[in-house]
Amino acid sequence: MTDSEQHPYVEWIAREARRPVVTSQAARDRVMASVRNEPRPQARPRLWHRALEPRALRRSPAGSALIAAGLIGIGVIAGVVASHRDARAPAGLSRVARAPQLAVSDSIVKFVFVAPQAAKVSVVGDFNGWDSTKTPMVRASNSGVWTVTVPLTAGRHLYSFVVDGSWSADPTAPLAPDDGFGHENSVKLVRRGSAL
Amino acid sequence: MNRLRRTLVCRHALSVSVGACALLLFGVRLARAQDADPFARLDAGSRFAVELMIDSANTLQLPSDLLRSTALQGLAVHADAKRIVRAVRTTFTNLKTARAVLGPVNSEELKAGAAVLYAGVKPTQLVPFRVRQKDRNDLQAFIVWADLITRGVPSEEASSAIIKLWQHGADDATFYGLWNSVQSDIIKGLNPGAALQNRIRETPGAPAATKVTPPEGQQENQSSR
Repeated sequence: MTDSEQHPYVEWIAREARRPVVTSQAARDRVMASVRNEPRPQARPRLWHRALEPRALRRSPAGSALIAAGLIGIGVIAGVVASHRDARAPAGLSRVARAPQLAVSDSIVKFVFVAPQAAKVSVVGDFNGWDSTKTPMVRASNSGVWTVTVPLTAGRHLYSFVVDGSWSADPTAPLAPDDGFGHENSVKLVRRGSAL
Repeated sequence: MNRLRRTLVCRHALSVSVGACALLLFGVRLARAQDADPFARLDAGSRFAVELMIDSANTLQLPSDLLRSTALQGLAVHADAKRIVRAVRTTFTNLKTARAVLGPVNSEELKAGAAVLYAGVKPTQLVPFRVRQKDRNDLQAFIVWADLITRGVPSEEASSAIIKLWQHGADDATFYGLWNSVQSDIIKGLNPGAALQNRIRETPGAPAATKVTPPEGQQENQSSR
């Protein structure tokens, strides 16, 4: 038993659909003229049009969560890199520490401090805004000698060493008087091309 | 229906992630802005006072970077705001005094002169440094002068020795040599004043010493401060 036997209207509709459609020549000409007047579709839609075209993204909740976690991870990495870019420790003894305030350096000065028991030593001074994270010193292997080289402009510079959080003057350099904060700094006199 | 729900969940997750990234970047920018403006850690009144003195120093063509550095140092050692303002004010006053006494010297000499005043030297004692030969620089003399007083050499003795050396035309190497020998004697335990008097006699081109060496028993690690 077929559907057409159950529904006579279906057979009638099919018969009508099979019957050829007869249209006048004038009607066909009008239709073709309208078609020719339509602009030719572009082979490929423009990139910006495709980008702006609304579309639904189909992702599973797990996939969406992965994408979100990835984006947040990228943001975290970018933030960490941006905020710690100035505080990265030098890799070797000869590496020149960053001194962002100095536009021009007149001399490369090597700071040396002996602290065999120290775990962390850095140099602070007017050349790095007294920021102990900006100029970390590097311990020479198997010794208590800490060094760092810093580009400095010519002139008189005040500095101190920060040894495991405690400030200490350089025992090999002239002292500057306590300027009101309870400790004495050291003085480095830099001339063009050389440092005292 | 499930497909619609998944699409909505997906859009919601993307919105949340974009928002989280924006907040994170904002936080990083805020932290960097605080790095760029370290005075933000001062209260409004103290900050105003410090910035006013820095502006005044600029107006007077004094090296304002020394004031800024002093404030930054105070912040670095977590000094309270009153102490920071007091230190910046003292430095500013010393810079003005050094300018008035020394005249048109460069900013580094002014800073060194201010440090000498900070160590306790009277402004009138800077007067001999006002007149100088061309290309002669008093930086080294000022650094040694401030160091000797800081190490415990009596201010009058240190001032007398440095001024006389300067007036006799001592060069930077002479001042540095004097400092090097005096500080090594002090580290060995010699009285700072005696160490200076002993070494000043050995300094080439130095004037005759004004004081005699103290007896042996009085030389052991006695600070003259």
